[in-house]
Formats: sequence, structure tokens, C-alpha cells
Amino acid sequence: MTRYLIKRVAQAVAVLLAISATAFGLFYAAPSDPALIACGPKCTSAQLAAVRTSMGLDQPIVSQFTDYVGGIVTGRTIADVDGTPIPCPAPCLGYSYSLHQPVLAAIEDRLPVTVSIAVGALAVILVLGVGSGLAAALRRGRATDRLLSGFNLLGASVQIYFLGYVLQLLLVYSTGLFAPPRYVPFTTQPAQWALGLLLPWLVLGFVNAAVYARLTRSQMLETMHHGYVRTARAKGLGTLRTHLKYTARGAAGPLVQLLGLEVGALLGGAFITETVFGLGGVGKLAVDAVNGNDLPTVVGTVLLAAFFVVVFVAVADLVVAWLDPRVRFA
Amino acid sequence: MAAVSVAHAFRRDRFGIVSLGVVGFFLLLSAAAPLVAALYGKNPTEHYGQNETGLLSPEGLPLLPNGGVSAQHWFGIEPGLGRDVLTQLLYGMRTSLLIALASAAVVAVIGVVVGVTVGYLSALVDRAFTFVCNVLLAFPALLFLITLGPVIQTRFVGPGEDEPAWMQFAVLILVFSAFGWVPLAMVLRTVVRSLREREFVEAARALGASRRHIVFRELLPNVWAPVLVHLTLAVPAMVTTEAALSFLGVGINEPIPDWGRMISRGSDVFYDDPTYMVFPGASLLVFVLAFNLLGDAVRDALDPHTVR
Repeated sequence: MTRYLIKRVAQAVAVLLAISATAFGLFYAAPSDPALIACGPKCTSAQLAAVRTSMGLDQPIVSQFTDYVGGIVTGRTIADVDGTPIPCPAPCLGYSYSLHQPVLAAIEDRLPVTVSIAVGALAVILVLGVGSGLAAALRRGRATDRLLSGFNLLGASVQIYFLGYVLQLLLVYSTGLFAPPRYVPFTTQPAQWALGLLLPWLVLGFVNAAVYARLTRSQMLETMHHGYVRTARAKGLGTLRTHLKYTARGAAGPLVQLLGLEVGALLGGAFITETVFGLGGVGKLAVDAVNGNDLPTVVGTVLLAAFFVVVFVAVADLVVAWLDPRVRFA
Repeated sequence: MAAVSVAHAFRRDRFGIVSLGVVGFFLLLSAAAPLVAALYGKNPTEHYGQNETGLLSPEGLPLLPNGGVSAQHWFGIEPGLGRDVLTQLLYGMRTSLLIALASAAVVAVIGVVVGVTVGYLSALVDRAFTFVCNVLLAFPALLFLITLGPVIQTRFVGPGEDEPAWMQFAVLILVFSAFGWVPLAMVLRTVVRSLREREFVEAARALGASRRHIVFRELLPNVWAPVLVHLTLAVPAMVTTEAALSFLGVGINEPIPDWGRMISRGSDVFYDDPTYMVFPGASLLVFVLAFNLLGDAVRDALDPHTVR
């Protein structure tokens, strides 16, 4: 297991480095003048020169990249448009010239919103997706199965940017059944926190649940026919207990991997959900940064999102290795 | 599997036939959009609401109920600019489908060539491929799609200039293809790895066939089933991603009609004029639902092992 762990972590670090190099190269090297974009249209030529030096654009691209990566590890000091030095402690993801704060600080302000959305949506995905997949597999071919697959197909086909508005109109605006979507910190008002995010959770969870329902169902049905499941049944174990205890464990591998990817993606920002429900999370920050040509923030959010995906995919792999000895010793 | 038995299996699938009909209807409508628009007597760019009185209120909202649905404008008119919704929908569908189908074609070529080749070649190539896949899969694809458009734009279009229409399409097709080939190649790699141990490949090798011959003549004809399944499910995914990008304001720009931008515009006035968003939203839902059902039906028909 230790060997597997080391191998997997090394792989994750390599993937992250490759992603940061690509993102950095594309966003800093490709546009004609990142300094002009960062500085904005009302920038004087002196300010432009200052920004260019501050962004390190007079340096070769390789040393710009090593500076950036070095900043992530050790932190560094970056000069603002007017030349004020801004300390950017590790892990420094750069400095946003339009928000006038380090990118990480901007992300930290908004991360609680994104994490809150992710946690609730994940719960809905688990209950609705995995739960209905289990139910459908156990009642295969019956009315329950067909009803659930129809419901999930609808979820797979409907779009958040349509369903979200329709539900807001019907459930919030017209009837007042749901509280208007908003974010209040969990630590101060847990009840309001849950009420304000309930609708975004349900919509985001419903739309994403279909994949899990389908995968759970097919995995369960496939594993059910293995010899060890039959042995458990033959020894007199009840249907439900056999399937939950033995079949589910054998079937869980691909599900765990997909969930890992999902958690990582959700933490990187739910762009559309945040936009539709007007919640100011990391996704909204990223979209606003793109629309406002705020390159340092764009690169920072891309890296953060990639970081979450890589970490949670690796965690999922470890869980799979723990569940399934065949993976561990392969 | 013989094509005849596949067609036979497909014909027995009621959902498959209906969804094929719906998808065919959408494809036909978008192909014949100029003809339909000419018969209907409207075009997607003219500002009817501003040019004719009695259509829009001073606030820019349709005067007639339900978004201005009338005998003149069957699906109503756009709030603000006052364009005809039906023709916008028709031409918007062309935008989505053009991008999705072109990307699917590129994805098919890259995915097949890479997947089949990697599946057949040595372990070293396989390792490199796995690493590239890991990198591309960990990429926050949607965020990347969002960011790449403006970056390419600043690179090739001077400040103050408008991005030419073909470039907007090209950028989207390029980024969809850049990410889209990965899952297909991964599926095909697995398929080919089991195929290459089969007798017919061994026989070809024993007869002294070149690697090229084996890859292109022996292996390639055997992977069309997974490719077809993958593509029928990839097209609706690309249509919705394209709409999502336009919804977020980084897709296709005015004045090219686009479903995602219609929904985005509809969201601004949603509580005053919900009808304007319902038409593109519902069209997208029906289209994607039909395409997903079609994809399922194709997979069931092609794969006799599907657990039903």
C-alpha cells in the first residue's frame, strides 16, 4: 500500500506541474500583451511599464514560470499598478490588478460559498443518484426501475441555466415555497444557510445525479452475477444484506472514481449554478475574471480547480485501492 | 456484428425510433432554416418590435400576452430588440449543430487514430498516453473553455476590432475537439487491447502484414460500434456546453443567433417575460432528451451484452 501511495502522489504532482505549465503558457504567453489587459484601458505608459516589470514580463517565459511556481511554494512580493509592494505569502497564486488583492485572498473570500454549494449538491447526488441506482438495480425491470430511469434521463437532459430559472420563478417568486437563494455563513446561522442554499443544491444535484444512477445500476447488476455474491446468498444471507454488504463493495470502484472527479470539479467552482442563483463563489469569480480580462485571477482559479480535481481523483484512487486488493497489488 | 441485425434490433426499440424521428426533425429544420424563414416571412436579424408600433412597450417588453405570441410572430418577439423568436430559434439551432457536428467529426478522427494506435503500440507509448489523458482530464474543462476564447481573441484580433464570425466558430470547435477526443481514445484503447490478441490479428501478423496494415485495415473496421455510441452521446453534450458558454457570455456573439445567448438574455427579463426564455430552454431540453434517448437506443442495438 505504501508503494502504491508514493506512486500515486508522485503522479498527482507531475500532473499538477504539467497543468500549471500549460495554463501559464497559454494565458501569459499567448495574448499579445497581458500587462495591457491587467492594467486596463485607462493605463498610462509609465504604469504599463511598471506592471510589465511587476508581472515579470521583461523576463524570459521560463523564468516567469519558475517565479510563479516558486511563489506558490515560498511566497513573494508583487508590485501593484502604482508601484506599492504587496506581500503575497505562500501559496501565492499571483496578484489581481483589477481586484487589487492577491488572487488567493480573493479566492479565500469566496471559497466558503463554493464549498457550501458542493457539500449539499454532493449529498443530493448521493441520495438521488446512488440511492435510485441501488433501488433500480434491486427492482430491475419493474415499474420502479423504469420510473427512476425516466426521472434520471430528464435530469441528464435538462440544463441548470433553464431549470434553475424556471424553479426560481415557480417556487420562489410566484409561490414563496422556497427561500430566495442566498448565502449566509454556516457558522453564524446554520438554518438560514441550509434554507438559502436548498434550491441550488437540489437543482445541481438533480442534474448531476443521472450519471451516478445509471452507473450504480449497471455496476450492481454486473457484480450481482459474480460467484462470491452467489456464495453469500447460498449460505443463507438475505437478499438486501448480501447486496448492500458484498455486491455494493464490489460495485463501488468506478463510482468512487467518478465521485472523486465530481468533488474536485464542484470545489473548483459551480460556474453556472453560481451565476443562475446569484451566489458569489469561486465560479462567479472566475467567470467575472474572464469577462473582465483579469488574467492573474483566471490562472489562479484554473490552477485551484485543477488542484482540487487532481487531489480528489488521487484520494478516490486510494479509496478504490483500499476497497479492491486487485488494484493495490497490480 | 452485421449491420442488418443492428438495424433490426434498433427497429424494435420504440423509444429509439421516436427519438430518431425527433432528432431527424431538428436536423431537417436547421438545414432548411432559410427556406422555413422565407415561407414564414421573417428573418432573425430584423428588429420588428422597434420598427413597428404596437409590439413593444416603452420599457421594451412585448405588449401582447405570453411574450407577444401572435399570428405574425408565432413564438413571440424578443424583449428589447424586438426580433422574431421563431427564426432566432431556427438559426440558433444551426449555430449549435454546426459547432457540435464539426467538433464531433474532429473528435472522431483524432480519437480513433490515437485510441487505435495507442491500443496497438508498445507499453511506453501507452504510459505517455495515460499521462496526457490524466492531465487533460484533471483540467477544469469548462473553466478552460470559458477562458480560452478571450485569450485566443486577444491574440489574433486587434483591440477594438470585432472577432470575425468564422473565428468564433473555429475557436469553439478547436477547444471542444481538444478535450473531446480523450474519452473516446481511452475507450478505443481498451477495445483495441482486447482485439489485438484475437486470431484475425494474429493471422495478419503471421502473414507478415505491416503495423500500418494491421492498425488501419484489421483493427479500425472493428471499432465503429463504440465510436458511433460515443458520438451520439457527445453531440448533445457539446450542444449544451456551447449553450452554457454563450449563457456565461463567452460563446458566440451578436448578431449570430444562439440558444445559449437567448437563454441568457431571457434570464435578464425572466420575471417580466418568462416566455422568451421558455422557447429556447424547452427546445434545448427536447433536443437533448431526444439525442440522449437515441444514444441509448444505438448502444442497446449495437451491444447485445447491455444489461437491461
